[in-house]
Amino acid sequence: MINRRKLLNAALGVAAMLVPLQAASAEEFRIEHTKGEIVLPERPKKVVVFDLATIDTLDALGVDIAGVPKARFPAYLSKYNGEDYAKVGSLFEPDLEALNALQPDLIIVGGRSSAKYDQVAALAPTIDLTVDQKDFVGSAKKNIDTLARLFGKESEAAEKLAALDATVAGTREAAAKAGKGLIVLTTGGKMSAYGPGSRFGVLYSDYGITPAREDLKTSNHGHAASFELILETNPDWLFVIDRDAAVGREGQSAAQYLDNELVAQTTAWKNGQVVYLDPARWYLIGAGLQAMQLNADQIAKALRKE
Amino acid sequence: MNPTQITPAHSPATERVWLLAAVAVVPILAAASLFVGVSNVSIETLLSDDTSARAAQVLMISRVPRTLALILAGAGIAVSGTIMQMLARNRFVEPSTAGTVESASLGILAVMLLAPDLPVFARMIVAALFAFLGTALFLAILRQIPLRSVLVVPLVGIMLGGVISAVTTFFAYRHDMMQSLGAWTMGDFSGVLQGRYELLWISFALTLVAYVAAGRFTVAGMGEAFATNVGLNYRRIVALGLVIVSMVTATVVATVGMVPFLGLIVPNVVSLAMGDNLRRTLPWIAIVGAGFVLACDIVGRVVLYPYEVPIGAVTGIIGSALFLHLLLRKNARVG
Repeated sequence: MINRRKLLNAALGVAAMLVPLQAASAEEFRIEHTKGEIVLPERPKKVVVFDLATIDTLDALGVDIAGVPKARFPAYLSKYNGEDYAKVGSLFEPDLEALNALQPDLIIVGGRSSAKYDQVAALAPTIDLTVDQKDFVGSAKKNIDTLARLFGKESEAAEKLAALDATVAGTREAAAKAGKGLIVLTTGGKMSAYGPGSRFGVLYSDYGITPAREDLKTSNHGHAASFELILETNPDWLFVIDRDAAVGREGQSAAQYLDNELVAQTTAWKNGQVVYLDPARWYLIGAGLQAMQLNADQIAKALRKE
Repeated sequence: MNPTQITPAHSPATERVWLLAAVAVVPILAAASLFVGVSNVSIETLLSDDTSARAAQVLMISRVPRTLALILAGAGIAVSGTIMQMLARNRFVEPSTAGTVESASLGILAVMLLAPDLPVFARMIVAALFAFLGTALFLAILRQIPLRSVLVVPLVGIMLGGVISAVTTFFAYRHDMMQSLGAWTMGDFSGVLQGRYELLWISFALTLVAYVAAGRFTVAGMGEAFATNVGLNYRRIVALGLVIVSMVTATVVATVGMVPFLGLIVPNVVSLAMGDNLRRTLPWIAIVGAGFVLACDIVGRVVLYPYEVPIGAVTGIIGSALFLHLLLRKNARVG
């Protein structure tokens, strides 16, 4: 009897576990995002994406996008400049007329377009995939998982994420032996420095570079830094993002800007350990699947001095 | 019609003592500017064998140029503010309340968009041209306004500046240049090094020209009729003043960005003490301008040490408070 009851209990338990599983598969298109959650009736077909990181990820997963913002897409995403993709505004500002004409099943905003969530959400189901700067890679991966599930590309995503993890592990290993690093952004003849927890803090937290300065407060646009600061910080590695190049400006390049007698005395400059990070991927795209892979590759390569 | 006067609160003699005291502080500020910064530069490190080479190098490459840049820019802006006030015959006008700075920024944006590879000098010339046109437009508008109340003039300038910067913002936004432009135009001396500030000597040369022509600006400040009566070519003086103001503004904006309110406060404070004879007051205006910029930059270097607060932010805060003070004081008298 006792055995039978036990069996019955076990069977009931299994059944109880199955129920939510079934419910989950029925609610396949329930999406949690930064601004809440939505439930879609079916897999969306016509998708408009304002967030560049999401465009990057969907491109990697082979998902078709109907509309994108008018932006300067870097070379690997240059097809989105083309006329096959409806232009639905800028990175910051949606073109509501164009959106309305397109009648999308789903709109994805994030980062620069996040503030316009309410405006576009009135037109079509909208999700906000802004990444959390404090847990950059964690939330980027969460977004990739969300998108993979939504579009049924789980296996492609898993494969690419595994490759990314492997590269990042290699980067961390190399970084542990590489000494201390500092990341700066140059724009318009000025320079700012970024510490852990800032928008470029992923360099320290995920790629494993030891920060050359711990006292940098987190602020979106960094702290104005003088050349003397670079000289005194004397980083072993200097990572540079040239903001003006990110938007197609060639004028005074960061290399020219940094080429002076003060920066020349740092270990980073003397040993040729100044790494010019791809500005479009770091500054514009950020948390996209391809951008993260390429960024990790670039840092791993730089640290191994290849 | 004379340029409107601000009656000193104290006797001019008291004001003059204050002015002398302020001027005496300027060399001290200049010296302090040489020794404030992230690297350790002091008499001690300069004399010690271990550190002297490094300290001397930082001094020569970073501190001396920065201090010179501050002095040149401060003197230049203060003097061009004074000239603007004479030309517009209004105390509350300066390059940043007359559309001059906004026009120079529009010029810089035009270069960034259309010819990003132009050398800094050419960029500055374009900015100067824009500044010249913008300021001339301001003066032309003023001529069309029959009833010139003291406050209407700077308001017209600020509105004109608003319109011009709206155009700038429109194109900057379209081309995703808002931040680059913001960085260019925000006054900040942190990037100044040997080899990167020398354009400011042009502004110094123009300041000297202004001094030579000071007497004429004083007369021009008394109005076109008066100037013509005493045998001056009014239009030529106005044109010279416009060239000086726009070139100085353009060199400063192209090298370090804008330093708001400086051109307004300094001439007013000096004229409280010394009156309006430019031949006498212009050197003082230049020195006090240099001192004000030095002080603000040192504050910016210390507040967030080892990072910096751009000088544009520091003078913006101090300057707008002083501007309001001058306005209210003026208003109380007029009203």
